[in-house]
Amino acid sequence: MDAATFADGLAAMRSAVGDEWVFDLPADLNTYRDFYSVLWGEPEEKVASAAVAPANVEEVQAVVRVANERRIPIYPISTGRNLGYGGSAPVLSGSVVVDLKRMNRVLEVNEDNCSALVEPGVSFFDMYRHLRESGSKLMMSVPDPGWGSLVGNALDSGGGYTVSGYRGHFEAVCGIEAVMADGELLRTGMGALPGSETWQQYRMGIGPCLDGMFRQSTLGVVTKMGFWMFPTPEAWLSGSVSVLRYEDLEELVRIANELEYGNLFNGMPGFGSPVLTRENPIAMTMIPEPEVMNAMVQESGVPAWSFSPNFYGPERVIREQWAYVKSRFEHIPGVQFAETGFVDLPLSPEDMERIHKPRFGIPSLEIFSVGSRGYGNFNPSDGHIWFSAVIPRSGQGIIDANRVMRSECERLGLDLFMFAPAVTCWTRSFVLFAAVPVYKDGRNAHLRDAVREIIRTCAEHGWGEYRCPPAFMDDVMDAYSFGDHKLRRVNEAIKDALDPNGIISAGRYGVWPERYRHMRRTGGEA
Amino acid sequence: MTTRREVLKWGAVLPALGTGWHGAFAAAPPNNALGLDAMLVDTRFPGALAVADAPVPVMQFAGDVTRVWFDELDARWRQPGFVLGGITGSDALFVLEVLAQHQGRKVISRVALDLPPVNGVQAVRWIIAPHHPSVTA
Ligand SMILES: Cc1cc2nc3c(=O)[nH]c(=O)nc-3n(C[C@H](O)[C@H](O)[C@H](O)COP(=O)(O)OP(=O)(O)OC[C@H]3O[C@@H](n4cnc5c(N)ncnc54)[C@H](O)[C@@H]3O)c2cc1C
Repeated sequence: MDAATFADGLAAMRSAVGDEWVFDLPADLNTYRDFYSVLWGEPEEKVASAAVAPANVEEVQAVVRVANERRIPIYPISTGRNLGYGGSAPVLSGSVVVDLKRMNRVLEVNEDNCSALVEPGVSFFDMYRHLRESGSKLMMSVPDPGWGSLVGNALDSGGGYTVSGYRGHFEAVCGIEAVMADGELLRTGMGALPGSETWQQYRMGIGPCLDGMFRQSTLGVVTKMGFWMFPTPEAWLSGSVSVLRYEDLEELVRIANELEYGNLFNGMPGFGSPVLTRENPIAMTMIPEPEVMNAMVQESGVPAWSFSPNFYGPERVIREQWAYVKSRFEHIPGVQFAETGFVDLPLSPEDMERIHKPRFGIPSLEIFSVGSRGYGNFNPSDGHIWFSAVIPRSGQGIIDANRVMRSECERLGLDLFMFAPAVTCWTRSFVLFAAVPVYKDGRNAHLRDAVREIIRTCAEHGWGEYRCPPAFMDDVMDAYSFGDHKLRRVNEAIKDALDPNGIISAGRYGVWPERYRHMRRTGGEA
Repeated sequence: MTTRREVLKWGAVLPALGTGWHGAFAAAPPNNALGLDAMLVDTRFPGALAVADAPVPVMQFAGDVTRVWFDELDARWRQPGFVLGGITGSDALFVLEVLAQHQGRKVISRVALDLPPVNGVQAVRWIIAPHHPSVTA
């Protein structure tokens, strides 16, 4: 893009949003870098050329029109805290970040419908404050760091730790408003029907359901989003079912799945191996051969596997559910049950101090201080990326994913801070999670090659990432190759039709507009 | 138009500037002479409270900034003004810096302190001040 067009575009954006809300000085743009970037300080690092912070929908429309007329690439963010998956930096270097932090109004909380409508800049903390101050009876689902936004987190398919159907955050979305590349405003679902009171009730509306078009997408700037929320339950109970033999895992997972899909527990279940996490509770070691693992269990007295169901609801209901859940595992030899937690809600100040707050929809930043509490050497403020692949939801799925990931990391010399093979934020799935440390020196080149190799290895096993940092988006999309990459081709056809100048979030999740398609895999600057 | 090179260069320069400014800060004028409105002290570092020695209000926390930010700083940072000095772990400063930037504030001074690290976390002395016109007093 030539400098004169860019300068003219920026001047037009200044008149749209006000001088002080356009940033183009290096000191300001430094704050839009991805502090966990695997390209940190390298010529290929993805950085913005400017940032603009509109205050309302009309200003967003004006900015988008200015960009579209001059073919200036833009990159919308909500709160821009996507650490581990790209921070607030654009995928295409040279894009203008559209920072929506000033659009931070909670537009509606409907207590009877158990839903909310928010602007993109509303953080989980903002929403929590709003719910508390208004005496709401509703609970929201939050990711571990609560400083992100409901909208940005859901758009990148983030996850929390609460109730099924809510904790996969995009699963709880109902109704989207977005500024499209031509500057026009689209409302999905019932929002398309003027005067409807059901925008946050019936998601589908008529015809193809377009909410999904905005998930991990390049098609619009989302300016409003509706969410279903959960009525705060009366109590929470957590249990554990522990089994002693390597061979018991398949049965443990099979029954747990059946119970969850039958709504016999509604909280996020945990699957782990106490004996393989003795040294570091957040990093499971390689699963050994059956006889070795069984001998470890015998020697240590620590169970081979555990399944931890969580229940939200009235006390007498969840105690009955827990009793039934236990009854379904009683036939497994040596099975052990324990009630590991029970609290009444709202939480007492004492309970508040000892619980994992995100499980109760309470935003927190505690995760950033776990390093100093001696959780292995996990220190999130040093920087890491998340590797997160969807694997089969079965015992064999856990075993295969653990072994492939562990042996590949060892072969490639890749460190892991944290490793959990079966995270269950998203309905009906297991996502293998690994936190890989990122450096601020030359070691990142090796890290990138190693991660790319692991993406390919996982794909050979049929496992694909659900989300990833920008440096790997083309590699991950490459793996979804059925029908000669028909998925990507359809996405790009839609992109070209709706955004012919290719201005919005070019390259995000491997979807490139025609104009920049030559940058696939190699990257570049607009 | 700011080039990618300029942005990267600025990022490299900032920490050095912080250390330089700290020279004056460490020469120990009283905290209020630096224009501080309050101090924030991370009690994980046993010596930190003594070093703070401040004639301005001192807020305390132990590693996790959630409560002090949610109950105190968030509201103050939405208003113009308010210069905050701190002695905290580098992990806590990382979080505070991101939160501060969101509200038009910047770390204008930072220096690693000679206190024993806690589980590998270094103590840092810093100042966060308003920077954007919407919050400069
Ligand atoms: C230690 C640690 C723990 C974490 N734990 C979790 C966790 O438990 N769960 C989880 O989900 N994440 C987790 N994360 C990742 C991340 O921090 C959160 O997902 C965070 O909420 C994302 O940032 P955000 O909400 O500010 O989204 P943003 O950065 O604002 O948005 C993310 C992306 O979505 C798109 N986007 C955002 N807003 C718009 C818009 N209005 N229109 C169009 N496109 C848009 C952009 O492409 C943007 O880059 C963790 C990170 C760290 C460092």
